[in-house]
Amino acid sequence: MKGNRLMGLVILGTAVFAGVPFILDSESSYVVYFLFLTFIYIILAQGWNLVAGYAGQISLGQHAFFGLGAYVTAITWLRGITGYFDPLAMIFSGLGTAILAILIGIPLLSKLRGDYFALGTLGLGEILRVIFTQGGTLTGGTVGLLLPSGVYESMKPYYFTGLGLALFATAAVYFIARSRIGLALIAIKDDELAANTNGINILKYKVLAFSIGAFLTGLGGSLQAYYLFHIHPVGFFSLKWALYPILMSIMGGTGTILGPIVGAFFLAGVFELINIWLPESHPIFSGGLIIAVMLFLPNGFIRLKIKGIFGEKGERRRR
Amino acid sequence: MTNFLSFQTLCQILVNGVLFGTMYGIAAIGMSLIFGTMQIIFIAQGAMIILAAYISFWLFTLLFVDPLLSILFVVPAFLILGGGLYQVLFRKVAYVGKNPSLLIAFGFMVLLENLMSTLWTPNTRAINTSYTAFGIPVLGLQISFTRLVAFVIAIVATIGVTLFLKKTLIGKAVRAASEDLGAAALMGIGIHWVNSITFAVGIGLAALAGITTATTYPFDPYFGFIFSLKALIAVAFGGIGSVGGAFFGGILLGVIESLGFYFLSGVWADAISYVVFLLVLMLRPEGLFSRFTRLA
Repeated sequence: MKGNRLMGLVILGTAVFAGVPFILDSESSYVVYFLFLTFIYIILAQGWNLVAGYAGQISLGQHAFFGLGAYVTAITWLRGITGYFDPLAMIFSGLGTAILAILIGIPLLSKLRGDYFALGTLGLGEILRVIFTQGGTLTGGTVGLLLPSGVYESMKPYYFTGLGLALFATAAVYFIARSRIGLALIAIKDDELAANTNGINILKYKVLAFSIGAFLTGLGGSLQAYYLFHIHPVGFFSLKWALYPILMSIMGGTGTILGPIVGAFFLAGVFELINIWLPESHPIFSGGLIIAVMLFLPNGFIRLKIKGIFGEKGERRRR
Repeated sequence: MTNFLSFQTLCQILVNGVLFGTMYGIAAIGMSLIFGTMQIIFIAQGAMIILAAYISFWLFTLLFVDPLLSILFVVPAFLILGGGLYQVLFRKVAYVGKNPSLLIAFGFMVLLENLMSTLWTPNTRAINTSYTAFGIPVLGLQISFTRLVAFVIAIVATIGVTLFLKKTLIGKAVRAASEDLGAAALMGIGIHWVNSITFAVGIGLAALAGITTATTYPFDPYFGFIFSLKALIAVAFGGIGSVGGAFFGGILLGVIESLGFYFLSGVWADAISYVVFLLVLMLRPEGLFSRFTRLA
């Protein structure tokens, strides 16, 4: 797919989604809520996509960044540093998670590769959850933090912020992937040794991708914190915030721009539909569906027609 | 926290840790074997363990079959199930890349957990046999009979799997495949067949871990995922792909948890096992018990 067509598609999609709250009643419509949730997933999925799809580093600890982003927003608000829907709080959340990603990323990425890195990041998420559970008055312990929900007025600002951030995440990944950085990342994914001998500073680029991915994830966490008004360790450090975006990216097609978006819409849609029609048995079908999609479309939806937007080959098994 | 700690208490903590750790150990061996040949983390291992626990629970509750006796036919059934599972779910995508296999394992775990939860309610279950509360006093320590049996079974299973890998032709093929899959295929080893065998053994071990868990600890459908995570840590301790290492890794994890639980609270105990896990991954990625150094 050419850049122009991709850009046109994204602009068209954005325009359509921007119109939705004006047609449907944003306060009572389930569709608006569903789309909001999907936008959050797109933000997270794009963050993971950059780290795993382009740089080839599979992170299983994105929920650490999601939770941290939410807590930064909540804590700065409760301390009066920022306010309700404060862009500053979101930037703090993003930067805070990015800094954590750099601090953690340097030792992890310099030492661990492949599955070991995945396992390490998984440990990171679990450690952070315990730290925030034991954080005393600052984090509110197991109960978490309650934000003043009286300021809630309308669903619209959430919807548009979600849409804007999803667009931002997509654009960020798009432009990074097309830049020097993106080329370096793809080179690292394809062959680390070859990339290194060609003068690419592997650690620098890996940490860069990891921290940008964390930044995006932190933004998603911040938005979810504003929406729920109740930040607690079990909900925000749930492994679901790491696993669902991964599933969405892979189902849609990792290492592509549109893949995570398609995957997010598909999976969130299926989860919600089954949740409505078959509330009791919904996770059974979700599990079955994941198996079915992977058996018949192992490279994701987006690679059905287009063999990779940037012309890279489908994933091969490396040994 | 500053309780008086007698030598006897310390011993009791260590013994409990070792006995509990053997559960992680057998779960970890299965995971380690599957990782060896398939190169994927079989995250559904914990769910399979819980499935076996449920089966022995129902056999005991409905048909009054002793859980230890049920090992005799549940484990063979799971061996067949494991082989079949590979043929149905993984054969097709085994060489497309890692992600599909990983996701199928994840999907299978979600499916299994929720199937069990829907069929048998998410309530916590436990098997209460006539000997459950029976304890053996050894040198002033109380050792639960069921835990001791579980410990012995785990050791026998570990030795069994080690012998299988070392002494039989099939075992040799499995080891060859986990060392170099391409070369093994060139030597005429049927890769799908080897993977099938590995899965069968892995799932068979899951059955063993499940039944012994059911006799000693309460369980619920969602306990499996935690079990998988713990088994994963044990695998990392022992070095990925090593049978004995995975078993001792499990015991080490059990001891660390037991000590952490006693000296700090239960929540911190979890964090400590993860911190140790991260340190091991960074400092000795080849595993704590490995004799040679390998790069991660």
